[in-house]
Amino acid sequence: MIADNPQQKSHSKLLLEQVSKEYPISGGDRLLAVSDVSFDVIENEVCVLLGPSGCGKSTILHMMAGLNDPTAGRLTLDGREIHGPSRDRGMVFQGYTSFPWLTVEQNVEYGMRLNKVPPAERRQRVDFFIDRVNLTRFRKAYPKQLSGGMKQRVAIARMLANAPEISLMDEPFGALDAETRWHMQELLLDIIDDSQMTVVMVTHDIPEALFLADRIVFLSSHPGRIKEILTMDFKQGRRITNKEELIETPGYIEIEREILHMMREEASDEE
Amino acid sequence: MTAPVTTQAGQSVAVSKRRWFEFNKPITPASAIWLALSAWVAFFGLWEFAVLMEVTNAVLLPGPVTVLTSFVELFTEKNYLADIGMSLYRVLASFTLACLLAVPLGILMGTFRSVEAFFNPLVSAFRYLPAPSFIPLLLMWLGAGESQKLALLFLGVVWFLITLIMDYAKSLPADYINTALTLGGNRRQVLWTVVVPAMLPNVLIAMRQMLAVSWTYLVIAEIVAADSGIGAMMMRAKRFVHIDEIMAGIVTIGLLGLLFDILLRAAQRLLFPYLETKE
Ligand SMILES: Nc1ncnc2c1ncn2[C@@H]1O[C@H](COP(=O)(O)OP(=O)(O)OP(=O)(O)O)[C@@H](O)[C@H]1O
Ligand SMILES: [Mg+2]
Repeated sequence: MIADNPQQKSHSKLLLEQVSKEYPISGGDRLLAVSDVSFDVIENEVCVLLGPSGCGKSTILHMMAGLNDPTAGRLTLDGREIHGPSRDRGMVFQGYTSFPWLTVEQNVEYGMRLNKVPPAERRQRVDFFIDRVNLTRFRKAYPKQLSGGMKQRVAIARMLANAPEISLMDEPFGALDAETRWHMQELLLDIIDDSQMTVVMVTHDIPEALFLADRIVFLSSHPGRIKEILTMDFKQGRRITNKEELIETPGYIEIEREILHMMREEASDEE
Repeated sequence: MTAPVTTQAGQSVAVSKRRWFEFNKPITPASAIWLALSAWVAFFGLWEFAVLMEVTNAVLLPGPVTVLTSFVELFTEKNYLADIGMSLYRVLASFTLACLLAVPLGILMGTFRSVEAFFNPLVSAFRYLPAPSFIPLLLMWLGAGESQKLALLFLGVVWFLITLIMDYAKSLPADYINTALTLGGNRRQVLWTVVVPAMLPNVLIAMRQMLAVSWTYLVIAEIVAADSGIGAMMMRAKRFVHIDEIMAGIVTIGLLGLLFDILLRAAQRLLFPYLETKE
């Protein structure tokens, strides 16, 4: 399946300007986790943050969400500076965060309740998004009855039903087994494509990054800074929503090799 | 791994062979019941045996049968039910008061670092003061009446209850709260729709843990100064050297403690059916 990539008119949605983040650590020292990072996320694109473990991917995503303030620099969404979390910027976390005391449909409805969305609209959006993530049969179930992949689908539906301007995902499939991961990636790309979402996704899985990304921001570690920004030229401005097809596309092997090479460089810098 | 059962003699033996000491292997419910029962039978058997062998003076060590008959006597002739009722009232009333303070305070302390920084030094210090050391003070301030006993029981559990609930609140997954915040929740909404529902099962667990302690202080309160209650009955029995009645009192408290534990466990299952079942 081949779809048009709607990322043509490049309006930058989220902007990071010279963003740095230091954490205080024991002994009064400070750890520079993210150093002087600048890039933008274009409207309707999938921007993947890729890099070795500990390079500051989650830190950057948390700053985008407003859960964490930068020590220096600024982040803006549509020109407005980001201060604190808001419904503009939805987030899916690596761990399972579906609320265990709510059923699947109550979980999906939760954000809209917070925001006082009228009941009729709420119900309609719950139906739509539960169906979109294939959980209609489980709408009355509690999270304890769901598999890991299903729990992440609940979290994704809950975020989408709340209609954020931008979706932030921190290794949403990190805890899933390889096969489930696959299905989830295909499903997610499908949803992203037909609802024209702007997405920032963190991963350290190279095939996942190549499959989902329109652009990859590759980070190096200690401190986390941008090593390279890769455009997925081999996709020729399309999204390929089928994995086998992606792997067979000319240019895939080359870019995968290039990223592997960067990963290895990072690893040898550590020593 | 268990091989399929076959008719070949050698293999079927290997499969059905059961050993009593296996690391981390579950045992069948039937054998669990049998094991528990045999422990009790052994306990009462040894007790009765010691009495029969006249290990000590029969007055100082009555047998289980004597204790059982003293129960009948207590209920029919000595209005034991009123004593039990009084003790229950003391435990439940003081425990309710302690919860009314400890649950909201513990949750707030575990949720907001500023609230913790304000209260925790105080609460931790009070935790190290043994509640019985307040008895002389309480007797002078409140007299020997009910309020003195409720105050002692309250002081005995409240600090630990606050600390327990605070620790539970602190260990809530931060990403539950972060999820609600990124969905647009304000602080009040996050507190009421995430922190409180996520805490409720833990509150019940903390209550179960501390209710047992409350019974301990009940006995102290009733032994010190009381004319009613299980502890008071035991002190009366001591005066007349009715060892069997003292033992009946101990058994009563044990049974009541067990009963409350079972009730709270059942409440846990009924109120929070969505919880992952551990074990
Ligand atoms: N709250 C914190 N306090 C102190 N140091 C922190 C804190 N959070 C993260 N760090 C440090 O900052 C660095 C970047 O962490 P971060 O979690 O952003 O990395 P990551 O790229 O998401 O890693 P991973 O792939 O393992 O999730 C790490 O060295 C980490 O130890
Ligand atoms: Mg991370």
